Amino acid sequence: MPDTALLALTWRVTKRRFLASWPAIVAGLAFPACIVWAGIGDSYGTAAKLFYFLLPHVFLVAAQDGVRTDLESGALENTLFAAGRFRGFLRAKGLVTAAAAGGYALLLFGLFAAWGLLLGAFRPDDLVKFALALLAGLYYAALAGVLGHVLRGGSNVLSLLLAQAAAVMALVFTASSRTGLLDYIAAGTFPRLGPKLAFGGFVALLPNLIVAGRPSVFAAEVLAGLGLAWAVNERLIRKLELRNGRSA
Amino acid sequence: MIEARRLSKRFGPVEALRDVSFRTQKGAITAMLGENGAGKTTTLKIVLGFLRPDAGAVTIAPGRVGYIPDRPAYFPWVDGWTILELGRSVRGGRDNGNGRDFRARVLAAARELLFDPGLLGRRPGSYSAGNLRKFAYLQNLVAGPDALVVDEPYASLDPPSIKAVRDVFCGLRDAGKTVLLSSHMLAEMERIADAFIVLRRGATIAHAGLREWRVLRSARSAPDLESVFLRLAGP
Repeated sequence: MPDTALLALTWRVTKRRFLASWPAIVAGLAFPACIVWAGIGDSYGTAAKLFYFLLPHVFLVAAQDGVRTDLESGALENTLFAAGRFRGFLRAKGLVTAAAAGGYALLLFGLFAAWGLLLGAFRPDDLVKFALALLAGLYYAALAGVLGHVLRGGSNVLSLLLAQAAAVMALVFTASSRTGLLDYIAAGTFPRLGPKLAFGGFVALLPNLIVAGRPSVFAAEVLAGLGLAWAVNERLIRKLELRNGRSA
Repeated sequence: MIEARRLSKRFGPVEALRDVSFRTQKGAITAMLGENGAGKTTTLKIVLGFLRPDAGAVTIAPGRVGYIPDRPAYFPWVDGWTILELGRSVRGGRDNGNGRDFRARVLAAARELLFDPGLLGRRPGSYSAGNLRKFAYLQNLVAGPDALVVDEPYASLDPPSIKAVRDVFCGLRDAGKTVLLSSHMLAEMERIADAFIVLRRGATIAHAGLREWRVLRSARSAPDLESVFLRLAGP
Protein backbone atom coordinates (compact mmCIF):
# COMPACT_ATOMS: atom_id res chain seq x y z
CA MET A 1 0.00 0.00 0.00
CA PRO A 2 1.47 3.37 -0.96
CA ASP A 3 2.47 5.74 1.85
CA THR A 4 0.33 8.78 2.61
CA ALA A 5 2.85 11.33 1.25
CA LEU A 6 2.96 9.46 -2.04
CA LEU A 7 -0.84 9.26 -2.11
CA ALA A 8 -1.05 13.01 -1.50
CA LEU A 9 1.45 13.70 -4.29
CA THR A 10 -0.41 11.36 -6.63
CA TRP A 11 -3.70 13.05 -5.82
CA ARG A 12 -2.25 16.51 -6.61
CA VAL A 13 -0.75 15.30 -9.88
CA THR A 14 -3.96 13.48 -10.87
CA LYS A 15 -6.16 16.46 -9.99
CA ARG A 16 -4.03 18.73 -12.18
CA ARG A 17 -4.15 16.17 -14.97
CA PHE A 18 -7.96 16.01 -14.87
CA LEU A 19 -8.26 19.79 -14.83
CA ALA A 20 -5.90 20.07 -17.82
CA SER A 21 -7.68 17.37 -19.84
CA TRP A 22 -10.49 18.90 -21.89
CA PRO A 23 -11.74 15.51 -23.20
CA ALA A 24 -12.22 14.35 -19.59
CA ILE A 25 -13.99 17.62 -18.67
CA VAL A 26 -16.24 17.50 -21.75
CA ALA A 27 -17.09 13.82 -21.15
CA GLY A 28 -17.66 14.48 -17.45
CA LEU A 29 -20.14 17.29 -18.19
CA ALA A 30 -21.76 15.69 -21.24
CA PHE A 31 -22.79 12.61 -19.22
CA PRO A 32 -25.08 14.38 -16.70
CA ALA A 33 -26.36 16.68 -19.47
CA CYS A 34 -27.36 13.61 -21.46
CA ILE A 35 -29.16 12.12 -18.43
CA VAL A 36 -31.06 15.36 -17.75
CA TRP A 37 -32.01 15.55 -21.42
CA ALA A 38 -33.36 11.97 -21.32
CA GLY A 39 -35.21 12.62 -18.07
CA ILE A 40 -36.89 15.80 -19.31
CA GLY A 41 -37.53 14.57 -22.85
CA ASP A 42 -38.84 11.16 -21.84
CA SER A 43 -39.11 10.01 -18.23
CA TYR A 44 -37.10 9.54 -15.05
CA GLY A 45 -37.23 5.79 -15.67
CA THR A 46 -35.57 6.17 -19.06
CA ALA A 47 -32.98 8.51 -17.56
CA ALA A 48 -32.33 5.96 -14.80
CA LYS A 49 -31.70 3.16 -17.31
CA LEU A 50 -29.27 5.39 -19.19
CA PHE A 51 -27.64 6.68 -15.98
CA TYR A 52 -26.82 3.29 -14.46
CA PHE A 53 -25.79 1.82 -17.79
CA LEU A 54 -23.40 4.64 -18.70
CA LEU A 55 -22.04 5.37 -15.22
CA PRO A 56 -19.18 2.80 -15.48
CA HIS A 57 -17.79 4.74 -18.44
CA VAL A 58 -16.92 7.58 -16.05
CA PHE A 59 -14.20 5.28 -14.69
CA LEU A 60 -13.09 4.34 -18.19
CA VAL A 61 -12.62 7.95 -19.27
CA ALA A 62 -10.82 8.77 -16.01
CA ALA A 63 -8.35 5.91 -16.57
CA GLN A 64 -7.28 7.10 -20.00
CA ASP A 65 -3.68 8.07 -19.11
CA GLY A 66 -1.96 4.79 -18.42
CA VAL A 67 1.46 3.70 -17.29
CA ARG A 68 3.02 4.01 -20.75
CA THR A 69 2.06 7.69 -20.98
CA ASP A 70 3.94 8.42 -17.77
CA LEU A 71 6.92 6.28 -18.73
CA GLU A 72 7.32 7.91 -22.12
CA SER A 73 6.97 11.41 -20.70
CA GLY A 74 10.23 10.84 -18.79
CA ALA A 75 8.63 12.56 -15.79
CA LEU A 76 9.07 9.53 -13.55
CA GLU A 77 12.84 9.78 -13.80
CA ASN A 78 12.84 12.40 -11.11
CA THR A 79 14.07 12.71 -7.54
CA LEU A 80 10.43 12.52 -6.43
CA PHE A 81 10.20 8.98 -7.74
CA ALA A 82 13.70 7.68 -6.92
CA ALA A 83 14.38 4.58 -4.81
CA GLY A 84 11.63 2.71 -6.65
CA ARG A 85 8.94 5.24 -5.62
CA PHE A 86 7.79 5.43 -9.25
CA ARG A 87 6.24 1.99 -8.73
CA GLY A 88 4.38 3.25 -5.67
CA PHE A 89 3.25 6.29 -7.66
CA LEU A 90 1.85 4.12 -10.45
CA ARG A 91 0.01 1.93 -7.94
CA ALA A 92 -1.33 4.99 -6.15
CA LYS A 93 -2.32 6.54 -9.46
CA GLY A 94 -4.68 3.61 -10.15
CA LEU A 95 -6.24 3.96 -6.70
CA VAL A 96 -6.52 7.74 -6.89
CA THR A 97 -8.03 7.65 -10.38
CA ALA A 98 -10.61 5.08 -9.31
CA ALA A 99 -11.35 7.07 -6.14
CA ALA A 100 -11.76 10.32 -8.10
CA ALA A 101 -14.10 8.66 -10.61
CA GLY A 102 -15.96 7.01 -7.73
CA GLY A 103 -16.33 10.36 -5.96
CA TYR A 104 -17.73 11.96 -9.10
CA ALA A 105 -20.06 8.98 -9.63
CA LEU A 106 -21.27 9.31 -6.03
CA LEU A 107 -21.92 13.03 -6.52
CA LEU A 108 -23.92 12.36 -9.68
CA PHE A 109 -25.81 9.52 -7.99
CA GLY A 110 -26.67 11.80 -5.08
CA LEU A 111 -28.09 14.43 -7.42
CA PHE A 112 -29.89 11.84 -9.53
CA ALA A 113 -31.36 10.11 -6.48
CA ALA A 114 -32.52 13.47 -5.10
CA TRP A 115 -34.24 14.17 -8.42
CA GLY A 116 -35.90 10.74 -8.25
CA LEU A 117 -37.01 11.25 -4.67
CA LEU A 118 -38.57 14.60 -5.59
CA LEU A 119 -40.52 12.89 -8.37
CA GLY A 120 -41.28 9.86 -6.18
CA ALA A 121 -39.65 7.67 -8.82
CA PHE A 122 -36.52 6.53 -6.92
CA ARG A 123 -36.64 2.83 -5.99
CA PRO A 124 -34.56 0.94 -3.40
CA ASP A 125 -33.16 -1.42 -6.06
CA ASP A 126 -31.55 1.64 -7.64
CA LEU A 127 -28.97 1.34 -4.86
CA VAL A 128 -28.13 -2.16 -6.08
CA LYS A 129 -27.83 -0.89 -9.63
CA PHE A 130 -25.52 1.90 -8.46
CA ALA A 131 -23.33 -0.62 -6.61
CA LEU A 132 -23.19 -2.80 -9.73
CA ALA A 133 -22.31 0.24 -11.85
CA LEU A 134 -19.46 1.02 -9.44
CA LEU A 135 -18.24 -2.57 -9.70
CA ALA A 136 -18.29 -2.38 -13.50
CA GLY A 137 -16.50 0.99 -13.30
CA LEU A 138 -13.75 -0.41 -11.09
CA TYR A 139 -13.33 -3.28 -13.55
CA TYR A 140 -12.96 -0.71 -16.36
CA ALA A 141 -10.35 1.24 -14.39
CA ALA A 142 -8.34 -1.94 -13.74
CA LEU A 143 -8.67 -3.14 -17.35
CA ALA A 144 -7.67 0.28 -18.74
CA GLY A 145 -4.74 0.19 -16.31
CA VAL A 146 -3.51 -3.09 -17.77
CA LEU A 147 -4.02 -1.86 -21.34
CA GLY A 148 -2.20 1.35 -20.36
CA HIS A 149 1.04 -0.65 -20.03
CA VAL A 150 1.12 -1.19 -23.78
CA LEU A 151 -1.09 1.59 -25.21
CA ARG A 152 -0.48 5.32 -24.86
CA GLY A 153 -2.84 7.76 -23.18
CA GLY A 154 -6.34 7.64 -24.64
CA SER A 155 -5.70 4.76 -27.00
CA ASN A 156 -6.24 2.23 -24.18
CA VAL A 157 -9.76 3.64 -23.70
CA LEU A 158 -10.37 4.09 -27.42
CA SER A 159 -9.40 0.49 -28.19
CA LEU A 160 -11.86 -0.75 -25.57
CA LEU A 161 -14.64 1.48 -26.93
CA LEU A 162 -13.97 0.30 -30.48
CA ALA A 163 -14.02 -3.33 -29.33
CA GLN A 164 -17.34 -2.69 -27.59
CA ALA A 165 -18.80 -1.05 -30.69
CA ALA A 166 -17.60 -3.96 -32.84
CA ALA A 167 -19.12 -6.49 -30.42
CA VAL A 168 -22.47 -4.71 -30.34
CA MET A 169 -22.54 -4.43 -34.13
CA ALA A 170 -21.64 -8.12 -34.47
CA LEU A 171 -24.47 -8.98 -32.11
CA VAL A 172 -26.97 -6.89 -34.03
CA PHE A 173 -25.90 -8.10 -37.47
CA THR A 174 -25.96 -11.78 -36.44
CA ALA A 175 -29.41 -11.47 -34.92
CA SER A 176 -31.90 -13.83 -36.57
CA SER A 177 -35.60 -14.37 -36.48
CA ARG A 178 -35.07 -17.28 -34.09
CA THR A 179 -34.70 -16.64 -30.39
CA GLY A 180 -31.14 -15.51 -29.85
CA LEU A 181 -28.75 -13.78 -27.48
CA LEU A 182 -30.50 -10.41 -27.84
CA ASP A 183 -33.75 -11.96 -26.66
CA TYR A 184 -32.00 -13.67 -23.77
CA ILE A 185 -30.39 -10.38 -22.77
CA ALA A 186 -33.74 -8.61 -22.98
CA ALA A 187 -35.36 -11.33 -20.89
CA GLY A 188 -32.40 -11.60 -18.54
CA THR A 189 -32.43 -15.42 -18.71
CA PHE A 190 -29.97 -17.71 -20.43
CA PRO A 191 -31.43 -21.19 -20.82
CA ARG A 192 -28.35 -23.10 -22.04
CA LEU A 193 -24.61 -23.07 -21.48
CA GLY A 194 -23.84 -21.64 -24.95
CA PRO A 195 -25.77 -18.38 -24.49
CA LYS A 196 -24.41 -18.11 -20.94
CA LEU A 197 -20.82 -18.31 -22.19
CA ALA A 198 -21.53 -15.91 -25.07
CA PHE A 199 -23.05 -13.41 -22.66
CA GLY A 200 -20.15 -13.94 -20.26
CA GLY A 201 -17.72 -12.99 -23.02
CA PHE A 202 -19.84 -9.99 -23.83
CA VAL A 203 -19.88 -8.89 -20.17
CA ALA A 204 -16.08 -9.09 -20.02
CA LEU A 205 -15.99 -6.52 -22.82
CA LEU A 206 -19.03 -4.47 -21.79
CA PRO A 207 -19.46 -4.92 -18.02
CA ASN A 208 -22.23 -2.28 -18.00
CA LEU A 209 -24.54 -5.16 -18.93
CA ILE A 210 -24.56 -6.42 -15.33
CA VAL A 211 -26.63 -3.37 -14.42
CA ALA A 212 -29.28 -4.26 -17.01
CA GLY A 213 -29.32 -8.07 -16.89
CA ARG A 214 -29.73 -10.66 -14.13
CA PRO A 215 -26.61 -9.70 -12.20
CA SER A 216 -25.56 -12.40 -9.73
CA VAL A 217 -23.39 -14.75 -11.81
CA PHE A 218 -22.16 -12.08 -14.18
CA ALA A 219 -21.43 -9.64 -11.35
CA ALA A 220 -19.25 -12.37 -9.88
CA GLU A 221 -17.58 -12.67 -13.27
CA VAL A 222 -16.85 -8.93 -13.34
CA LEU A 223 -15.56 -9.11 -9.77
CA ALA A 224 -13.22 -11.95 -10.78
CA GLY A 225 -12.13 -9.91 -13.82
CA LEU A 226 -11.42 -6.96 -11.54
CA GLY A 227 -9.26 -9.16 -9.31
CA LEU A 228 -7.43 -10.62 -12.29
CA ALA A 229 -6.78 -7.23 -13.90
CA TRP A 230 -5.55 -5.85 -10.56
CA ALA A 231 -3.18 -8.82 -10.13
CA VAL A 232 -1.81 -8.47 -13.68
CA ASN A 233 -1.35 -4.72 -13.20
CA GLU A 234 0.46 -5.29 -9.91
CA ARG A 235 2.77 -7.86 -11.47
CA LEU A 236 3.59 -5.57 -14.40
CA ILE A 237 4.33 -2.64 -12.08
CA ARG A 238 6.51 -4.79 -9.82
CA LYS A 239 8.66 -5.76 -12.81
CA LEU A 240 8.83 -2.23 -14.17
CA GLU A 241 12.12 -0.39 -14.65
CA LEU A 242 12.83 3.04 -16.14
CA ARG A 243 15.08 2.74 -19.14
CA ASN A 244 15.32 5.71 -21.50
CA GLY A 245 11.78 6.72 -20.60
CA ARG A 246 10.49 3.28 -21.56
CA SER A 247 9.78 0.16 -19.60
CA ALA A 248 12.49 -2.47 -19.67
CA MET B 1 28.26 8.01 0.90
CA ILE B 2 27.28 5.89 -2.08
CA GLU B 3 28.76 2.44 -2.53
CA ALA B 4 28.20 0.13 -5.49
CA ARG B 5 29.44 -3.44 -5.34
CA ARG B 6 29.94 -5.63 -8.40
CA LEU B 7 26.93 -4.34 -10.34
CA SER B 8 25.88 -6.15 -13.48
CA LYS B 9 22.92 -5.52 -15.75
CA ARG B 10 21.73 -6.91 -19.08
CA PHE B 11 19.12 -5.49 -21.44
CA GLY B 12 18.22 -8.56 -23.46
CA PRO B 13 21.32 -9.54 -25.42
CA VAL B 14 23.19 -6.36 -24.46
CA GLU B 15 25.45 -6.55 -21.43
CA ALA B 16 25.25 -2.96 -20.14
CA LEU B 17 27.21 -3.55 -16.91
CA ARG B 18 29.37 -6.51 -16.01
CA ASP B 19 31.40 -5.42 -13.00
CA VAL B 20 30.98 -1.92 -11.63
CA SER B 21 32.18 -1.13 -8.13
CA PHE B 22 32.95 2.21 -6.51
CA ARG B 23 32.55 4.17 -3.33
CA THR B 24 32.01 7.91 -2.99
CA GLN B 25 32.77 9.89 0.15
CA LYS B 26 30.97 12.59 2.08
CA GLY B 27 32.36 16.04 1.41
CA ALA B 28 33.78 15.01 -1.95
CA ILE B 29 32.93 15.41 -5.62
CA THR B 30 33.33 12.17 -7.53
CA ALA B 31 33.44 12.21 -11.33
CA MET B 32 32.31 9.18 -13.27
CA LEU B 33 33.96 9.06 -16.67
CA GLY B 34 33.60 6.77 -19.62
CA GLU B 35 33.04 6.73 -23.33
CA ASN B 36 29.55 6.56 -24.83
CA GLY B 37 27.89 3.28 -23.90
CA ALA B 38 30.35 2.58 -21.06
CA GLY B 39 27.44 2.16 -18.62
CA LYS B 40 27.50 5.47 -16.74
CA THR B 41 23.80 6.28 -17.04
CA THR B 42 22.79 2.69 -16.32
CA THR B 43 24.96 2.77 -13.20
CA LEU B 44 23.38 6.03 -12.02
CA LYS B 45 19.88 4.67 -12.65
CA ILE B 46 20.68 1.60 -10.56
CA VAL B 47 22.07 3.82 -7.80
CA LEU B 48 18.84 5.86 -7.87
CA GLY B 49 16.59 2.79 -7.91
CA PHE B 50 15.14 3.32 -11.38
CA LEU B 51 16.71 0.07 -12.58
CA ARG B 52 17.35 -3.15 -10.70
CA PRO B 53 20.78 -4.74 -11.02
CA ASP B 54 20.93 -8.36 -12.14
CA ALA B 55 23.66 -8.84 -9.56
CA GLY B 56 25.50 -6.68 -7.06
CA ALA B 57 24.22 -4.15 -4.59
CA VAL B 58 24.10 -0.44 -3.85
CA THR B 59 24.34 1.09 -0.39
CA ILE B 60 23.48 4.75 0.21
CA ALA B 61 23.93 6.51 3.53
CA PRO B 62 20.60 7.63 5.03
CA GLY B 63 19.43 11.03 3.84
CA ARG B 64 17.96 12.73 0.80
CA VAL B 65 19.40 11.87 -2.57
CA GLY B 66 18.91 14.40 -5.34
CA TYR B 67 19.08 13.41 -8.98
CA ILE B 68 19.32 15.31 -12.23
CA PRO B 69 19.02 13.13 -15.32
CA ASP B 70 20.71 13.90 -18.63
CA ARG B 71 17.35 15.00 -20.05
CA PRO B 72 15.09 16.33 -17.28
CA ALA B 73 11.37 15.96 -18.00
CA TYR B 74 8.22 16.80 -16.08
CA PHE B 75 4.50 16.11 -16.23
CA PRO B 76 3.28 18.37 -19.04
CA TRP B 77 0.25 19.69 -17.14
CA VAL B 78 1.99 21.19 -14.10
CA ASP B 79 3.91 24.46 -13.77
CA GLY B 80 7.24 25.02 -12.06
CA TRP B 81 5.84 26.16 -8.72
CA THR B 82 3.57 23.12 -8.53
CA ILE B 83 6.51 20.76 -9.10
CA LEU B 84 8.47 22.45 -6.33
CA GLU B 85 5.41 22.25 -4.07
CA LEU B 86 5.02 18.55 -4.87
CA GLY B 87 8.55 17.96 -3.65
CA ARG B 88 7.77 19.91 -0.51
CA SER B 89 4.63 17.86 0.14
CA VAL B 90 6.58 14.60 -0.24
CA ARG B 91 9.08 15.85 2.34
CA GLY B 92 6.27 16.53 4.77
CA GLY B 93 5.87 20.23 3.96
CA ARG B 94 7.41 21.57 7.15
CA ASP B 95 11.10 21.04 6.58
CA ASN B 96 11.32 24.27 4.60
CA GLY B 97 9.37 26.33 7.08
CA ASN B 98 6.08 27.98 6.16
CA GLY B 99 5.01 28.93 2.66
CA ARG B 100 6.82 32.29 2.80
CA ASP B 101 10.06 30.67 3.96
CA PHE B 102 9.78 28.10 1.21
CA ARG B 103 9.23 30.80 -1.41
CA ALA B 104 12.23 32.75 -0.12
CA ARG B 105 14.33 29.61 -0.26
CA VAL B 106 13.24 28.95 -3.84
CA LEU B 107 14.03 32.52 -4.90
CA ALA B 108 17.47 32.38 -3.24
CA ALA B 109 18.30 29.10 -4.99
CA ALA B 110 17.03 30.52 -8.30
CA ARG B 111 19.35 33.51 -7.92
CA GLU B 112 22.25 31.20 -7.16
CA LEU B 113 21.54 29.24 -10.36
CA LEU B 114 20.87 32.33 -12.54
CA PHE B 115 17.37 30.98 -13.11
CA ASP B 116 14.59 33.48 -13.82
CA PRO B 117 11.93 32.85 -11.12
CA GLY B 118 9.34 34.38 -13.44
CA LEU B 119 9.47 31.12 -15.38
CA LEU B 120 8.09 29.17 -12.42
CA GLY B 121 4.54 30.16 -13.34
CA ARG B 122 4.98 28.36 -16.66
CA ARG B 123 5.18 24.67 -17.48
CA PRO B 124 8.75 23.32 -17.64
CA GLY B 125 7.97 21.84 -21.07
CA SER B 126 8.00 25.41 -22.39
CA TYR B 127 11.47 26.21 -20.99
CA SER B 128 14.61 26.27 -23.10
CA ALA B 129 16.93 23.27 -22.63
CA GLY B 130 19.28 25.34 -20.45
CA ASN B 131 16.48 26.67 -18.25
CA LEU B 132 15.01 23.20 -17.95
CA ARG B 133 18.32 21.92 -16.59
CA LYS B 134 18.60 24.87 -14.21
CA PHE B 135 15.06 24.17 -13.03
CA ALA B 136 16.08 20.56 -12.33
CA TYR B 137 18.95 21.90 -10.20
CA LEU B 138 16.53 24.24 -8.47
CA GLN B 139 14.11 21.41 -7.66
CA ASN B 140 16.93 19.41 -6.09
CA LEU B 141 18.63 22.25 -4.25
CA VAL B 142 15.41 23.41 -2.63
CA ALA B 143 15.02 19.89 -1.23
CA GLY B 144 18.38 20.19 0.55
CA PRO B 145 20.04 16.96 -0.64
CA ASP B 146 22.56 14.98 1.41
CA ALA B 147 23.84 13.48 -1.82
CA LEU B 148 23.45 14.79 -5.37
CA VAL B 149 23.77 12.60 -8.45
CA VAL B 150 23.96 14.38 -11.80
CA ASP B 151 24.13 12.94 -15.31
CA GLU B 152 25.84 15.35 -17.73
CA PRO B 153 25.87 18.30 -15.30
CA TYR B 154 26.70 21.02 -17.81
CA ALA B 155 24.63 19.92 -20.81
CA SER B 156 22.83 22.88 -22.47
CA LEU B 157 24.20 25.43 -19.98
CA ASP B 158 25.84 28.71 -20.99
CA PRO B 159 29.23 29.70 -19.48
CA PRO B 160 27.80 31.85 -16.62
CA SER B 161 25.42 29.05 -15.70
CA ILE B 162 28.25 26.49 -15.81
CA LYS B 163 30.12 28.62 -13.30
CA ALA B 164 27.01 28.93 -11.13
CA VAL B 165 26.48 25.17 -11.16
CA ARG B 166 30.16 24.56 -10.43
CA ASP B 167 29.84 26.82 -7.39
CA VAL B 168 26.81 24.82 -6.29
CA PHE B 169 28.80 21.58 -6.46
CA CYS B 170 31.68 23.10 -4.50
CA GLY B 171 29.23 24.53 -1.97
CA LEU B 172 27.67 21.12 -1.43
CA ARG B 173 31.10 19.54 -1.05
CA ASP B 174 32.13 22.17 1.47
CA ALA B 175 28.93 21.49 3.38
CA GLY B 176 29.95 17.82 3.69
CA LYS B 177 27.54 16.48 1.06
CA THR B 178 28.24 13.75 -1.48
CA VAL B 179 28.32 14.76 -5.14
CA LEU B 180 28.49 12.19 -7.95
CA LEU B 181 28.79 13.54 -11.49
CA SER B 182 28.80 11.68 -14.78
CA SER B 183 30.33 13.79 -17.49
CA HIS B 184 32.33 13.90 -20.69
CA MET B 185 33.76 17.34 -19.87
CA LEU B 186 37.12 16.10 -18.66
CA ALA B 187 38.80 19.46 -18.12
CA GLU B 188 35.86 20.60 -16.02
CA MET B 189 35.89 17.38 -14.00
CA GLU B 190 39.62 17.66 -13.40
CA ARG B 191 38.99 21.16 -12.13
CA ILE B 192 36.45 20.27 -9.44
CA ALA B 193 36.49 16.53 -8.74
CA ASP B 194 38.18 14.95 -5.74
CA ALA B 195 37.92 11.40 -7.02
CA PHE B 196 37.41 9.66 -10.35
CA ILE B 197 35.74 6.50 -11.52
CA VAL B 198 36.43 5.35 -15.07
CA LEU B 199 34.07 2.87 -16.69
CA ARG B 200 34.77 0.96 -19.84
CA ARG B 201 32.40 -1.51 -21.48
CA GLY B 202 30.37 -1.89 -18.32
CA ALA B 203 33.20 -2.36 -15.86
CA THR B 204 35.20 -0.13 -13.52
CA ILE B 205 38.73 0.14 -14.90
CA ALA B 206 39.98 2.87 -12.58
CA HIS B 207 38.81 4.30 -9.27
CA ALA B 208 41.11 6.80 -7.68
CA GLY B 209 41.22 9.74 -5.33
CA LEU B 210 42.82 13.01 -6.41
CA ARG B 211 46.23 12.13 -5.00
CA GLU B 212 46.23 8.68 -6.56
CA TRP B 213 45.04 10.22 -9.79
CA ARG B 214 48.01 12.58 -9.84
CA VAL B 215 50.34 9.63 -9.24
CA LEU B 216 48.67 7.75 -12.06
CA ARG B 217 48.98 10.79 -14.29
CA SER B 218 52.67 11.26 -13.62
CA ALA B 219 53.34 7.52 -13.96
CA ARG B 220 51.85 7.62 -17.40
CA SER B 221 53.53 10.91 -18.26
CA ALA B 222 50.15 12.34 -19.08
CA PRO B 223 49.71 16.11 -18.92
CA ASP B 224 46.04 16.10 -18.03
CA LEU B 225 42.96 14.02 -17.25
CA GLU B 226 42.04 13.80 -20.91
CA SER B 227 45.33 12.11 -21.77
CA VAL B 228 44.98 9.62 -18.91
CA PHE B 229 41.37 8.93 -19.84
CA LEU B 230 42.20 8.36 -23.49
CA ARG B 231 44.95 5.92 -22.56
CA LEU B 232 42.71 4.06 -20.10
CA ALA B 233 39.62 4.02 -22.26
CA GLY B 234 41.38 3.63 -25.57
CA PRO B 235 41.35 0.45 -27.62
